Amino acid sequence: MIGLIPSLRSQLLGSTSRCLFHTAALLRAEEAGSKLTKEQLRKREVRRAARRKVEAKKPAHTHPLYMPTPLALRYLRAVEVGYPASQQVITVTTSVVADRGNPPIAGNVSLPSPLKDVLVAVFSNDEQQLSMARDKFRCHLVGGSDIIAKIKQGEIPVDFDKAFATPDIAQELTSQVARILGPKQVLPMAKRGTVASDLEPLIKDSFGSIPFRQKGNSISLAVAKCEFSDRQVLENLLAVQTAFKEAVSNQKAKRPSILGRTTLTTTHGPGIVIDLV
Amino acid sequence: MPNIPKQLNFLNRISYNTPKAHVRLDPSRYSGLKLVFQYENHNGQMGARKFWNQYLPTLKFYNPELQMDVLRIRNSNLRDATTPCYLEALDRDGKVIQTLQMKNKRSDTILDEFNQLFELEQIPNDQLIQLKRN
Repeated sequence: MIGLIPSLRSQLLGSTSRCLFHTAALLRAEEAGSKLTKEQLRKREVRRAARRKVEAKKPAHTHPLYMPTPLALRYLRAVEVGYPASQQVITVTTSVVADRGNPPIAGNVSLPSPLKDVLVAVFSNDEQQLSMARDKFRCHLVGGSDIIAKIKQGEIPVDFDKAFATPDIAQELTSQVARILGPKQVLPMAKRGTVASDLEPLIKDSFGSIPFRQKGNSISLAVAKCEFSDRQVLENLLAVQTAFKEAVSNQKAKRPSILGRTTLTTTHGPGIVIDLV
Repeated sequence: MPNIPKQLNFLNRISYNTPKAHVRLDPSRYSGLKLVFQYENHNGQMGARKFWNQYLPTLKFYNPELQMDVLRIRNSNLRDATTPCYLEALDRDGKVIQTLQMKNKRSDTILDEFNQLFELEQIPNDQLIQLKRN
């Protein structure tokens, strides 16, 4: 083994002063990367996109990991046996094939059997709106400028799923806590329809519905828990299917995105392909 | 992109490749199983953990209506050997009807004793589910 190592330093370093101990695969990848021209890279992207499109259009039952949903649930429940109930969450992931520049697919789904209560935050300086949110809907977090300051200082955790605001406080929210609420998709914005002078209809619609949003090339959403019956899981899956299709049809794009393979999985379980879209 | 043969092996390990655990417990007699053991391996508790890992998924797969609870107790003190390690079978009313001690036993031994102690039937080969690549 020692005899294989070149004795001289000059033998170790090639003409390009590259160490010969580099693995071959790494070297090849580096060289291939540098050799491809812009045109070739573009063509490769086009080829890959076409392949992804063909893959997405294939029926689910042709995939080797496809199985009917009840059997998939049986496997997933078996894998999750013994783990804490809070961890036994069933998630559905659908791949999305989008054209360049398409906005991400996003929407709301109201599950017939929700996993948990949707926590709503209401920001306003209008006392009437605040009392309505507090008394009528019993929202998780209700307040005005004082609450914003506390969120900024980290005294109040951002544990709510949705947030609404009145126009008088929207500007303050954006300037003060946009960097905290923005990444979690809970910053009220007029563009998203979460800022209104009358918050009652918004809050009413939001109870029982959870938001979803495309991240990368897929949409992922927790749909059920392992303790749910097959019927409950299937009902939730149907609701998700309808919501995904609606989100695609509402997408403002020249050529709407295509929904591809759908996988059902759990926290500790494998991904199993099911027929959803 | 999942490794498909690996994934199929994983799923077949649950439903096909653990023959000793291909049993169906009498549903009129048993309503659930409760396992209590230590989170850590020391003081003879490794077999219980391996039993949970290797055989409990198969038992759950072929007994879907059976409630199975696992309670793992944290105990980082190596000298403390008092953590219980047992498996209990519950009847329809939730009363304990049988108890199997799992301490200082290997997972295979626990399964053998489980098969002897409980009223169960072997699942016929034609009812086993095997996943194959098309």
